[in-house]
Amino acid sequence: MTPEAQVNDYLARLRASLIGMTVSAREDIVEEIRMHIRERSSDPESSVDAVLAGLGSPELLAEQYRTGMLVQRARSSRSPFLILRAALRWATTGVEGFIVFLIAVVGYATGGAFLLLALLKPFFPQYTGLWVGPNEFNLSFRMGATMTNPAPPVHEVLGWWLIAVCLVVGSLSLALTTQLLQFLFRRFWRVPFVPAAHVRPAMLAL
Amino acid sequence: MAWQYTSYCKVLFIAKPAISPPEFNTSERWEAQLRKGCLEMAVLASLWNGSLYGLEILRVLERDSSLVLAEGTIYPILNRLRTEGLLQSQWVEAEAGHPRKYYKLTPSGRDRATQMAETWRQFSAGLGRLIEPVLAAKSEHNNSHNNVEQPL
Repeated sequence: MTPEAQVNDYLARLRASLIGMTVSAREDIVEEIRMHIRERSSDPESSVDAVLAGLGSPELLAEQYRTGMLVQRARSSRSPFLILRAALRWATTGVEGFIVFLIAVVGYATGGAFLLLALLKPFFPQYTGLWVGPNEFNLSFRMGATMTNPAPPVHEVLGWWLIAVCLVVGSLSLALTTQLLQFLFRRFWRVPFVPAAHVRPAMLAL
Repeated sequence: MAWQYTSYCKVLFIAKPAISPPEFNTSERWEAQLRKGCLEMAVLASLWNGSLYGLEILRVLERDSSLVLAEGTIYPILNRLRTEGLLQSQWVEAEAGHPRKYYKLTPSGRDRATQMAETWRQFSAGLGRLIEPVLAAKSEHNNSHNNVEQPL
């Protein structure tokens, strides 16, 4: 492969991996990397091979761009979908990311469950409610093979208020999870960094 | 301004001892983390005196701070700092015959750089005091070691 073909191949792979961004943003990145390669390899002591090796694989490079953009979008976004995606990306980088992802899943699942309960109440009023009894404090939606409600003295306490309570608690749970996740993204998420393993500062030789 | 973190990084690098392989990995990882922590501030600081393009920033970091990083790393970072509004970029037709993408600090980028530099100075001054005895013990050890090796 000629050096030019090598460069074109590298840039094509980079372009193909830079998904989820506008064409102009992508081409801007590709052009910047192309100029880097051109300038670097014009040095007589350097070669295209060495320059491309220095840049790392195009897929890894694209991954760093994409993660950076996702971090940026997630920090300012309120979309649970985007936040969950970002948390999932973070989860792949280590334990702390995984814990954050778990917080996101639990938080959103709790919020979603409360909202679902509010939504189900008008359709299945008999089987949706907060039942309280001597040995029971149980917020549940009961519908299934048995189709039975808890027998007295266990009784439902909220009635139609259940909808209001669930809407408030569910929304609060979603909002708090979003706030917390955004805080964690801003405060603790650093974009993955690839140290130069093969190049070492002269000082380390001391 | 660059000397603040530069000199500190140098001290830390010099402190790296010759050690056995398992420890070496831990120490390498720690060092990578340390550099990662400096990186954003170092990039912002390198642009303090004017606009530079990617390769120039790499060279400045290498020259002034021994902060050597994989070349591909700098561009995603610049891109992110730009989307965060800390940098702005502009393509400029260069004498070299091909265009270059120049970056410069925005006002909020300058604010962030100042704030990071201040935090860094406090942090490194505090740690500097803390590690003084460690480094003193090391140099004493080296001295006594050298004395033993000296021919009579």
